[in-house]
Parts: sequence; structure tokens; C-alpha cells
Amino acid sequence: MATEASLASEPGYKRTELMAICAAREVRDGEIAFIGTGLPMLGGMLAKYTHAPHCIMVFESGVVDARPTRTPLSIGDACLVPGSVMLGGLTEVFGLILQPGYVDVGFIGGAQIDRFGNLNTTVIGDYRRPKVRLPGSGGANDIGSLAKRTIIMMKQDARKFVEKVDYLTTPGWIDGPGGRERVGLPRGGPSVVITDLGVYRFADDTKEMYLESHHPGVSMDDIRMNVSWDLRIAPRVRETKPPTKRELRVLRTKCDPQGLFLG
Amino acid sequence: MPELEVHDKLMPLTEAVRKFIPDGIRLRGCGIGLKRPMAFVYEVIRQRRRDLTFLLSGWTEDADLMIGAGCVEKLEGSYLGLEAFGLAYCYRRAMEQGIPRTILIEEYSNFGMTMRFMAASMGLPFMPIRSHLGSDLLRVESFRHPKAVVLDDPFGSGAKVALLPACPADVALLHAQRCDEEGNAQVWGQLGDDLWGTLAGKRILVSVEEVVPTRVVRRDPNRTIVPGFRVDAIVPQPWGSHPYQVQGYYDADAPFRKEYAERSVTLEGWEAWVAEWVYGVEDHEAYVRKLGEDRLATLRAKKLLSGRVNYGY
Repeated sequence: MATEASLASEPGYKRTELMAICAAREVRDGEIAFIGTGLPMLGGMLAKYTHAPHCIMVFESGVVDARPTRTPLSIGDACLVPGSVMLGGLTEVFGLILQPGYVDVGFIGGAQIDRFGNLNTTVIGDYRRPKVRLPGSGGANDIGSLAKRTIIMMKQDARKFVEKVDYLTTPGWIDGPGGRERVGLPRGGPSVVITDLGVYRFADDTKEMYLESHHPGVSMDDIRMNVSWDLRIAPRVRETKPPTKRELRVLRTKCDPQGLFLG
Repeated sequence: MPELEVHDKLMPLTEAVRKFIPDGIRLRGCGIGLKRPMAFVYEVIRQRRRDLTFLLSGWTEDADLMIGAGCVEKLEGSYLGLEAFGLAYCYRRAMEQGIPRTILIEEYSNFGMTMRFMAASMGLPFMPIRSHLGSDLLRVESFRHPKAVVLDDPFGSGAKVALLPACPADVALLHAQRCDEEGNAQVWGQLGDDLWGTLAGKRILVSVEEVVPTRVVRRDPNRTIVPGFRVDAIVPQPWGSHPYQVQGYYDADAPFRKEYAERSVTLEGWEAWVAEWVYGVEDHEAYVRKLGEDRLATLRAKKLLSGRVNYGY
């Protein structure tokens, strides 16, 4: 896919499309990927249809190695069933695949994130008198706790990239190096954060988030204005590689032809 | 006598709710993204049940409707939203403004809730799990104390686990594809948390798309997830999960769900929706008639038959 020419003109694609494409690029061939609904699902499907045909997608409703023929509306969509290799339920996917450590990569989203990649999908404001009550963990806590690595996808602004999350739904690196080990988590941690503005990773020594690349058309000022702590920037920060023609074509024609999630 | 008991289980929706779902019980729903017990949910609202504790891993319109209608006092679960269609606004109004009443939720993860149901279904007081550690799911309690306990492996592996309490239900609802007249309930497609969750109910009420002769079940017993001897009521209810999918019967009604999501954003909009689709129809048959044949025709599942296996020996 890297051999194909990148689209020169900008904007020839939507930010949501670039997010799904960045997510797909994180999946390696042959990996077992734990997929949630929405953009992560498109990322997983795109990876499978391009560079990672042997990627196995598992869905928490109980589907192993799904090959959906249309865009699933939910993690429990019946269209995930025909053509899959095994069906169980939450117990099988969480208990027999995720918890013992067979999931290479999991996708999660969030309403708030801090510098260590801890996520909140539960509540904005005080827990007992919330300003905004959000859906809650779902499977996110399990995926963030037990996958070998996680890909975080979310929209970015300063109210979402916060000094301290209002509720810690899903652990990232907790409070830095050794944080996960101290609370007893067996493995894992966030490896990348993909937003509509850029791509972020976590420093090996501090476990703190830093900017790896900003998306085409996004300035460093845009990035800084939309983070509420003093964000670290990679010494050789670059622009995110734009979508290739093939990535865009497959995403638009095979992953989400109706634009359900791409908008 | 046993035959009389068998026939006693078959009953209409209204009777099952009247007989088995009193105010104040711990009630379990079912289905993850599909096969939700919507006919039961609508009827519980029509019969104006109150003070229920509603249990499930992940809820969508089922819990949102019951909260909006004032049926729910407490929740134990993991997720409440409308998936791709957005946030659940009755839930938001209840949690943020106490409309129509204040409710409480005790939160675990999806896997956590499944393990809690598994414990209850197996007659165990708790179950260990390796997620929840380091998160506010462990630290922030609502009405259960303790909500969870962290334990170092007493056998010395050095592993830490969170112990989560069993989650029994007084009544578990299941919407299944089919069952026989004894209630042996068969399900295919994703199981969600319906195996352990349904069996965590002291009483089990099953609504089905079809009641089939028992020989149909007995020719394919691998598909049964609830044995009939555990089932208290069988409600034959075609389209009993609309607007959700039932594999092999019908697809999700996405426009219907989208309309609910849009109209429920305001209290007035939600009240008009529920007046039209719940209070305004006498029973689920009337609801299905209101949907209309044109709409139903677009939702009916196409044929995609499984292979057959040889059970011979």
C-alpha cells in the first residue's frame, strides 16, 4: 500500500477517514484484533482488506474471525455471524481470548484522556451530580486492561485532553512507569492515540504522551490549543502520511459505502 | 399432572408480566445489540411497574425507555447508550436532573457483569477477574459495599485479581428464536451474555419468535441454552425484539432506532414517542400492526441455512 502515490490535493478526504486509515496502519498481519463499533471497526476492516489479510477480528458479542459483508451497526450485529469461524458470547471472547492474553491489539475510544492515556467514558463532572452522563465502560475497561496493546481513537479538544480525567474508566499507563504493574494488571497499555488532529505515542521512559505527527492542514498551534497540559512534541515531529488512493478507495467502497461512520 | 404444568407455561405477554414481574424486583434483560426483550419492556412500561433494579452488561433503548417511564430505581451494569445512534437521553435526564426520578447505578465492565452473572448461575458468591484493577470501577461505589475486593493470589503466583459479587436476578427475561412447549429455549448467532445471565434468574421468562414441536429441539440439542425445567413462562411473540435483530427472522430497524434517538433528546419528544409506540398500542400485536406490512417486509431475514451435522453414533 505504501507504494501507491499519496493523494496530493488536500482536502480530498475527511478527518474521520484519515483516523480510520491511521488505525488500520497500526494493525499488523496475523494479529488478533479486538474490535469495537464505529471508526475502530472500519480501521480493522480496512487493515484486513489491505495489508493485514490474516488479521483475526473478534467482537465482544461473541464472534471470532468475522468477515462482515456490510458495515455492522453494532458489536452485536447479526451480519457478523455468517462466515465467522466461532460463535460464543462475552464469556468466551473476554474470558477465553482476551483475559489469558491472546488479543494483540484492542481499540477503544474516550470522552476524556490524560497524559498517561487513562480514559474516561463514564461521566463529565461530579460522579454523583454529573454534568454529562456518558454510557460507561462497556468492554473498554477489559480491553484496556488485558489486550497486549491498545489503540485509542477520539476527537480532540482541550476539554477532552485533560490534566485529570473526571472518572478513570479504563487504565492507560496510570501514573507513569510501573503504574500498571503496581495495580496488578498483567500486561498491555496504550500504544497510540489517534485523533482528528494528530497521532500521539507514549515515551518509553516516562509513559507520557507525545505528539508524533500532526495531520495535514493542522498546525502546531492547533495541536497545543487543544491539549490542556504542556504537551511534549517528538524531536522530529512530522506530518501524518496522507491516505493513499487505495486506502481511501477500500475504505469508501468496502468498509463504509453508506458513510454510516465516516459521515 | 406434569402435562398440565407444561401447558401452564404458555401464556400471553400481559399475563406473564402481571404474574411474574411485581414492583421492586431484580430484573434481568437480555441481548447484546440484538435479541433484546422489547415486547417485555414495552409491557412492563404499560403495566407501570416501579422500583425495579434492572441488570445487564450493556443496555440501549430497553433501559432508556424503562428509566424514562419511571420503572427503574437502580441499575447494575456496564454501558447505557444507543450505540451508533448516540447517548441515551432518558438516562441522562435521570442521572443529571432526577427526571422522572433519581436513580442509582453500580457500574462494572461488560466482562465484569458477565462474570457476576456466571457466579450467580453457578451458585457461587463471587468470581475473580483480572480487569477493573487500577480503575474507578473498583474505587467508586454507589449502593453496594463492598462493590469489589482486590485479592493477591492465595496460592502464591503473585497475580492480583478483583473479586466481584454474584449478580442474581429474581426474574430473567430471554428473547429466543424458538422453544418447545416445555420451554427448552434455542438460540443461534452471538450469545452475548445470555447463557450465564439467563441462568442467573431465579425465574426465567422466555419470549420466542416461534414455539416448535419438541422433536425439533431434540433433533438439535446443541442449540439449547436454557433447559425447559428452568423456564416459568413461555410467551409466543413474533417480532418480540423489534427494532433489534433476531438472526434468521428479521434485521435491525435502523430508521426506527434513529427516530427514537432523535425524538428522545427532549422530554416532550420522548413523551410523544412513548405515547405513540407504547401507551398508544394495546399490546405487542397492535404494535406490530402499527409497524405495518410494508415495513416488516423490508426487515424479514433472507434465507442463509446452516449445514447439517450427523448426531449418529
